[in-house]
Parts: sequence; structure tokens; C-alpha cells
Amino acid sequence: MTVRQRLLAILITGIGGTAAAAASFAMAVYDAANPEGVALVAAGEPVDTGRWIVTVRKARAGPTPPTGIEPLEPKTFVMVEFDADNRSAETSNVLTRLLAIDPPVPNLPDPIVYLTRDGWVAGGISPGMPERMIAAWEWPPALPPPRTLRLLIGSQIYKRRDNLYGASGWFDRDPVAAVELSVSPAAAEMAQ
Amino acid sequence: MIGAIKGLAGVLLAAAMLYGMQRTTPLYSDIISPVPVAGRQGERVDTSAFAIGVADVHLAREVMASSFGRTRTYTTSGVWVIIEAAAAAKQESLSLTSAKWLGPNGVRHALSQRFSAMSGMLGSERLEPGIPRPMLMAFEVPESQLSGATLLIARSALTPLAEEAWIEMTDVRAQDIRPAVTLGRGNRSQPWTLEAE
Amino acid sequence: MTATAANTGERRRYWFSIAALAVVLPAAILVHTGDTIRERLRDMRNPIAVESGTLQRYAGADWRLTGLARLPGSLPDTTVVLAEFEATVDDPKQLAENRCQVALTDDWGRRWEPAFLPGSAVRKAKPAAADKPHCGLFEELSPGDTVMMAESFVVPEDAESLALSVSLSGALPAYLLFR
Repeated sequence: MTVRQRLLAILITGIGGTAAAAASFAMAVYDAANPEGVALVAAGEPVDTGRWIVTVRKARAGPTPPTGIEPLEPKTFVMVEFDADNRSAETSNVLTRLLAIDPPVPNLPDPIVYLTRDGWVAGGISPGMPERMIAAWEWPPALPPPRTLRLLIGSQIYKRRDNLYGASGWFDRDPVAAVELSVSPAAAEMAQ
Repeated sequence: MIGAIKGLAGVLLAAAMLYGMQRTTPLYSDIISPVPVAGRQGERVDTSAFAIGVADVHLAREVMASSFGRTRTYTTSGVWVIIEAAAAAKQESLSLTSAKWLGPNGVRHALSQRFSAMSGMLGSERLEPGIPRPMLMAFEVPESQLSGATLLIARSALTPLAEEAWIEMTDVRAQDIRPAVTLGRGNRSQPWTLEAE
Repeated sequence: MTATAANTGERRRYWFSIAALAVVLPAAILVHTGDTIRERLRDMRNPIAVESGTLQRYAGADWRLTGLARLPGSLPDTTVVLAEFEATVDDPKQLAENRCQVALTDDWGRRWEPAFLPGSAVRKAKPAAADKPHCGLFEELSPGDTVMMAESFVVPEDAESLALSVSLSGALPAYLLFR
């Protein structure tokens, strides 16, 4: 190979590599500048989040948590009823990250998830056994309970080989959908 | 001309080989997965660290469990599988903490955490060498995943290359589902009582 | 420089690199497993056999087994073994930063770990021993202090020729074996 041929080869690979890097960078910048808005779904509409199929049903606020036992000092709970169907091959806990209040409320602890059918804290949810559950947030006493609630539904994707070990697993991704609910107030529940 | 064809063929061959190697490399999770030790329901299964035998399997729609004088009802959207077994450590004191119900469709159902406070439940007691102890397990499983399942038991779910007992559940049939099973507190040597309705 | 000369040079470098792999790969594996090997070297390997009642110097203290009693177990066919031992401090600094591991072993190589709480048999037969702490609290000691410790084990009734092994992390691979 002559020197000229070598130089030409180096030049071509250099230009090609630079072009590829520039294109990838431009795409990343474009994506960051134009975030894909999450789709707004109606209550009761199932959402495929990758690992789960989630259907958010309704929201209410009240002093009684799903266990039916009121705490000694009065508290306000904001409760969201939803269905979840595990699509993976293994039992998994319904992650508290699955549903997130948007915009975030400062100092709000993670919700506790209960089973609707017997009011117990939900453990792992197995594939093939969809469950109806209630996520209960203990609302900060300083804030009035909300009239409407906007929730972001998080997603997870499956990687057959992850980038670190080449192991298979589920990885968190951006929210895929948002749902807006009106919160039926405590008074309505008391009247029942 | 011939040289160019040879070069092209060489590149194609290399690409095919790389693709084949990429597709057939075992997953990291497979490489470090536990080593199965096969066994059957009703027989003693020996791994190097522990021995276990499944004695009875009860299927029920509901489980009533009494603790501290109160009886609570635990429902399920599938079927409760309550397993009575016995286990012993062989060389060293150890705890068994991982049990999974591997259904015929390949889904792994984790041990139900709903009455993990029940005495005798897997993981509640350390096993000592030479002292066999009764052990209770509970699963919530869809009805279609009852027969043809395998029970997987290991010291922990995460230890790479540790042994795991794979117990073939040969005698589990959907027609044996009872309406309810009651679990109660037992004594020191038999930590629970079980009544089927 | 002619083309052939360049080729020879390139070829030599190529073969040299291939040969170097044979050395570099094992070296890389050794470097990466260094921690594991070091951990292995610190395993319990050198038992110091101690007769019951005699003093043995170990990890900055003089150790002595004061009792190895068999008590009735609460489970059928089991025995509770209560081991009482003490350490007279000589070098508090050497003793302080240690993790203590206690186990009961037999001739078959079986190994029992101590129970977290002394059982009812211990409380009934030896209430003083039930209040003794586990091995491992060696803070704020001065030379001449004696630390009294007790551990209980649940073993099968037919377990024989039991020995108590005590190891401190700083003194490994040597460990005490009380018979």
C-alpha cells in the first residue's frame, strides 16, 4: 500500500466517523429540545408500561385508609384505585414509582399500596393474576387535599443483556402516559 | 477480481461467525444461575448444604390464619398452595430464604409474604446440622399453574452457583382445591396446626 | 525500506503480540482475583488446641474455657450446649478492633453457630451464664480486665466430641479450639 492510499483511507474513515458522531449528537440535542409529550389517557383506559398493564380507575381523599382502620390522630389520605397486570415472568412488587403525582408535591412520602379485595398491604403481584389495588398517599397536613390529580405512569423495559454485565433484567424508563382524575372529597365518602 | 471476491467472502464469513457467537453466548444471568438438584414430591432431596422433603400440599381458595387470638381471612385471586415440608442443614447452620413455584408456563411465583409472621414459615428459623425441622410455605398461584409445577428452594435467591433443590410436584391436582384451610399456632416441635375444610 | 522488510517487521510484531497474550491474560486474571486469594489466606486454618481450663494467649488476651455444659433441649432429640469462656486482657488495642466468630464443631466437620438468645434451659440451669454477653464486645478495656462470655448452641443429642472454636478477625488464620 502506498503512502497516498493510506492517507486516503485515514481521511475517509475520519470524515465518516465525524459525520456519524455529529449526526448522533444532533439527534440527541433535537430530542432534548423537543421532548415527546406523554399521552393523556382517560381513567379506566389500560396503559402498557412494558412490565405492567396499568389501568388507573378513580381517586378519592378521606380520613380512612384502605385497611378501614382510622389512625389515632386524624390524617388525610389521597387514594388512587388502579388495576395492574404483571407481564413479566416473575412475581414483582408494584413499584411505588409506577404512579407519580405531577407536578410533584414537596415532602410527600411514597404511597403504600393495598389490595382492594381484602384491604391488606399488597405484596408481590404474580403474572397471570391481575389485581385491583389502591395506592394511598398520606397527604401533608399543611396542604389542602387536591380537587384534581394528575398522575404520570412510569414504564420499564426488558433488556436481554444489560450494558454492564450482560444480564437480563427490567430497567426504568420515562413515563409513558398521564392520567387526570377528579378527587372525590372526604365529605362524599363520609356520607356513604 | 478474484482477490476482491475472496476479501468479500472473508468479511461475510467473519460477520456470520460473530453473529453466531453473539446469539449463542449464554446470558450472564444463566452463567451465574443456581445449580439445580432434581427431586420429586414426597422424597428427600439432598443438596450439599441442606436436605429437604415435601410432605403435604394443600390447595385452598381462602386461608384463615390465627395469630394473637385473632383469626384473619386471606383471599387470593388464584389458588392458595400451602406446602408442609421438613428440612435440615447438613454441615453448617444456615437459613433457607428463597422458595419459588415454577409453573408449567415458566413463570416463577414468589413465596407469599402475606403471613410471613406465621411461625414455621420458610426463613423464620435457622436450621442446625442434624436437626430436621418442619417448614411451611405458601404461594398464590393461578389455577392453570397448579399441575406440572416445580418447587425451587435455595438458601438465597442471589448467591451465584449455589445449589437449588428443584422438586417436581407430581401430585397436585386442581380438583383437590378446598374452600378454606385454617392455620393455627402450634408448639415448639410442630410450629403450626393445619385444618382443611 | 523495501516492502518485504516492512512485512517482516509487521509479522514479527504480530507474532510477538500473540505470544504476549499467553502471559498477559493469566496475569490479568491473577490481579483480578487477588482479593479473593487474600481472603482465602485469611480463612481459619491454624487451630490452636487448648485443653479445658488452661490459659492460651491469643489476639492480645489470655483465653480460657470455663465450662462446656450439656443442658436438655426444648426440641426432641436435641441438646443445648452452653459454652462459657473468658479472656483476660493484656493488650486492649490489639483486642479492640476484632470481629469475633464462635462455633461448635464435631469430628464429622459439622459446624453449629451460636443461638442469638439463650434458651429457657440455660435461663433455668445457669441464670448467671444467660446474662453473660456474646463474644465480640471488646471496647473500652484496660489491661488486666477479664471479659466473661457465654454462647449457647442447639445440637442433636447424639453429637459427640464437640469442640468450641473462637476466632478473632485480626488474628486469623490462627484460631482457638477448646476441647
